[in-house]
Amino acid sequence: MTALTQDALIERLSAIVGADKVRTDADSLETFGKDWTKIYAPKPTAIVFPKTTEQVRDIVLLANEHQLALVPSGGRTGLSAGAVAANGEIVVAFDYMNQISDFNAVDRTVKCGAGVITEQLQNYAEEQGLFYPVDFASAGSSQIGGNISTNAGGIKVIRWGMTRDWVAGLTVVTGQGEILRLNKDLLKNNTGYDMRQLFIGGEGTLGFITEATMRLTRTPKNLTVLVLAIPELDDVMKVLNQFQGSMDLTAFEFFSDKAMRKVLARGDVPAPFDSSADFYALIEFEAVTDADMDLSMSLFEQCVENGWVVDGVISQSETQAANLWRLREDISETISEWTPYKNDISVVVSKVPPFLNDIDEIVTREYPDFEIIWFGHIGDGNLHLNILKPDALAKEEFFERCAKVSKWVFEIVQKYDGSVSAEHGVGMTKKPYLKYTRSAAELAYMKAVKAVFDPNNVMNPGKLVDL
Amino acid sequence: MKVLVAVKRVIDYNVKVRVKPDNSDVDLTNVKMAMNPFCEIAVEEAVRLKEKGVATEVVVVSIGPKVAQEQIRTALALGADRGILIETEEKLESLTVAKLLKAVVEKEQPQLVLMGKQTIDSDNNQTGQMLGALTNMAQGTFASEVAVDGDKVNVTREIDGGLRTVALKLPAIVTTDLRLNEPRYASLPNIMKAKRKPLDVTTPADLGVAMTSTLSLVKVTPPAERQAGIKVGSVEELVEKLKNEAKVL
Repeated sequence: MTALTQDALIERLSAIVGADKVRTDADSLETFGKDWTKIYAPKPTAIVFPKTTEQVRDIVLLANEHQLALVPSGGRTGLSAGAVAANGEIVVAFDYMNQISDFNAVDRTVKCGAGVITEQLQNYAEEQGLFYPVDFASAGSSQIGGNISTNAGGIKVIRWGMTRDWVAGLTVVTGQGEILRLNKDLLKNNTGYDMRQLFIGGEGTLGFITEATMRLTRTPKNLTVLVLAIPELDDVMKVLNQFQGSMDLTAFEFFSDKAMRKVLARGDVPAPFDSSADFYALIEFEAVTDADMDLSMSLFEQCVENGWVVDGVISQSETQAANLWRLREDISETISEWTPYKNDISVVVSKVPPFLNDIDEIVTREYPDFEIIWFGHIGDGNLHLNILKPDALAKEEFFERCAKVSKWVFEIVQKYDGSVSAEHGVGMTKKPYLKYTRSAAELAYMKAVKAVFDPNNVMNPGKLVDL
Repeated sequence: MKVLVAVKRVIDYNVKVRVKPDNSDVDLTNVKMAMNPFCEIAVEEAVRLKEKGVATEVVVVSIGPKVAQEQIRTALALGADRGILIETEEKLESLTVAKLLKAVVEKEQPQLVLMGKQTIDSDNNQTGQMLGALTNMAQGTFASEVAVDGDKVNVTREIDGGLRTVALKLPAIVTTDLRLNEPRYASLPNIMKAKRKPLDVTTPADLGVAMTSTLSLVKVTPPAERQAGIKVGSVEELVEKLKNEAKVL
């Protein structure tokens, strides 16, 4: 193994992808070296833009030859620093692998390059009269490769599941530089270990996904949105049970009044009603017939009679549905101004109420001076706890204080058999806390798996699991 | 004071409009329909007048197929008092609509007629004006502010290069522009109450208006698809292309 000089490195990379697909300018290094976390300063050596699976393989072989660290880069909307290059790594950006091809109407599948943007796939599906159901606030930037590597969830999981459920087949380049075609897009394929599943949510630590065959489904009909005002946190789950007991929901989201006030303060999203409550639930369902509408009305009435809900609105048009969704979807972007400390935790749905009470007690006790913003996919048992940085406090001190309480929060997660990262992945920010969700034996097996696919530790080193 | 509001059922503003393969019309199969956004603004304004105690009754009228009752119910949920549907399956033209509305005006004798300045499906922007001509009522179009003052209504109009305020003698017709107000959501309790509000169904024949058509739709075509852009290497190349390819220099 020989070290490469910077010039030699650029020359070797250029030989693989072409000189115009290697960038070392300061702007690119800054942009492509980070994701939405603002904790680590980006410091990559070079950014390389492959166009084919074979080029990715050659980059990986080069990395093995010279012990170079590679970081995959998609839409860089991650929230766990899984795609951050802060240690002189080479960033492999998939922006040019953005082709959609091989649509198959019978199988209802379509092939996507790793760099296809989520919204591009959603729009493509719509043009075919079909639907790609995985959706979240960053769908306009995030890429399919990144979605799969982090098993992205989002706002429709209650009905359509996570990204994992929509991957029919994968082409990956392993850390050893081998190209694997996994699962051949089959619906049924019981031929042993399904290695596809290791790469889904693998955060690029075993290999890089270069292409994926994604499943599509029928388009939902007349999605209708309710927003309900709920004074007590405990009652949010009762409302969920009431609705879920009678109808199939496509979303059940919750957010606190503080979260909504931040979004309304932007001035471009209308308030749902004059009344206010500490919490709100956003419920979405398919209103196919008048009976569906009537049912939702009577469920609302029952919730009011039980004293859980004090007010509510329902969308009368797609425009209104979209505006109501913004109350929930714009939260993350709106509060990013306050450099929030983010937690993305989950438990099984039945344990949400006691779990929430425990967490709420801790954060109000330990953060009396901090602004706490609650929102999340509560119908999936997934909560986003955000703590906003007070202006007066330095970033370092703020994160230090948060980290202290994180430990207590994660101990509660452990007590309830929950997850320290429901959908944001592990990356660097959640790595120290993995033990609260994964046993020592599990972590040892994860290391062993990493060693099989990436023995030289060139694939996204320092993320998820250390070799 | 009685206020009459006209609302139309149109393709939802958020829907991507598709043209039928034979270019005969816009494809409306399985497409979400909703109240025309300008009509929503008119309903909101009427409800606000009622909340201020200026209006005593808000009557909402729509012309269209039976399902247009949905949009009337929405208006009732927003705060209108009763609805009238003039049921017809015929294609609607501005002049026919104006004649039908004239018949309703004669029957209801409102002091103020509020309507959208245009509908987002046909984009004509003429029904309010036609109704003004047919009824000899004063008209204030493109309203961004409406203030009733005794037997007058002051209407601030959005015109090229600024605002113009006109004082109209009641009864009058006002057509709404986007900035007049921001319509509220229909609250669930009000939607339930709206189910019990009266909604009368009538027909053009009952009102003595013939649905004669003077227009025929020749062809509907989607806008030209946007061509993919290119990246140029230098300012010189850009100038060269602007001169020789785009021919704009």
